Amino acid sequence: MAEMHSGDETDNFCSNQSVTVGLNEVLCITEAEVYFKNIKLELNQIDRLVCDAVNNLVINFKYISKLTKSHHEMVLAIEKMAIPKGSKPILELLEKQMVIADKIEQELDAAITSLQFGDLVTQLLTHTTRQVEILSTELQRIDLKGNWKADIATLEAMQRKISYAVNVAQTENERKPVVQQGMQMGDVELF
Amino acid sequence: MAKTILAVDDSASIRQMVSFTLKNAGYEVIEAVDGQDALDKANVHAVNLVLTDINMPRMDGLKLLELLRNLSHYKTIPILMLTTESGDEIKAKGRAAGATGWLVKPFDPKRLLEVIKKVIG
Repeated sequence: MAEMHSGDETDNFCSNQSVTVGLNEVLCITEAEVYFKNIKLELNQIDRLVCDAVNNLVINFKYISKLTKSHHEMVLAIEKMAIPKGSKPILELLEKQMVIADKIEQELDAAITSLQFGDLVTQLLTHTTRQVEILSTELQRIDLKGNWKADIATLEAMQRKISYAVNVAQTENERKPVVQQGMQMGDVELF
Repeated sequence: MAKTILAVDDSASIRQMVSFTLKNAGYEVIEAVDGQDALDKANVHAVNLVLTDINMPRMDGLKLLELLRNLSHYKTIPILMLTTESGDEIKAKGRAAGATGWLVKPFDPKRLLEVIKKVIG
């Protein structure tokens, strides 16, 4: 599609200037298809990478959470053993350990909120992929088998058709599923 | 006896985060990967609350909500929507279809538990 721009190159829509207009039209469609296919492949790749990263982070998160729980239980057990002896330094140390355990728990809670980014990203990628698909389909519908001539009028007609295709793509995929700009907690409403 | 929550989301990471939060708070959790899966499971298990996403393959959360509300034993069961969607129009659709509440992702575990406690105790 990079070749389908307007400007001084009014004598050609595609890169190969030696071929006829009819052949150029075929090349444009093929190039556009490859271009859109590559965009979709790249979006899929981003999705796979994000999913893989999130899965790993979730595994790490669960392991850290399990260790924190064990640590918490251990501190409580040591505290019980230390109380009868009344060792003040040990009790103070354990109290500090409990404060740290509480802080880790708070951080783990915050991590639960942050780890949801994968879902948001996947939904946005799906939305973008759909937009690309619709635009690709609409551009292919442009009647390139018409009596095109390499002149301003043809370019203008082409531009109108491309604008129409973009408008259709926008209309068909209007609702964006994710509007969040950050990972702050979302609103809660009870009906 | 622990209360049972049906958690519906096509995102594995969200299901894991929801389950982790709810199980740690003492709830039993049944997971479903989309609306159809949830509907199948809702017909088999006794559920105290449904927590569902909206944008899912096969059957979305709004359709699930509508179908569950048509089942006699789900007429009064609380159904909370947990979604990235926050538009007034879609929220109104959910409300009209019988949703109990609307939570926008990302959720905060403490806030989620507060809401659930308020709804089912």
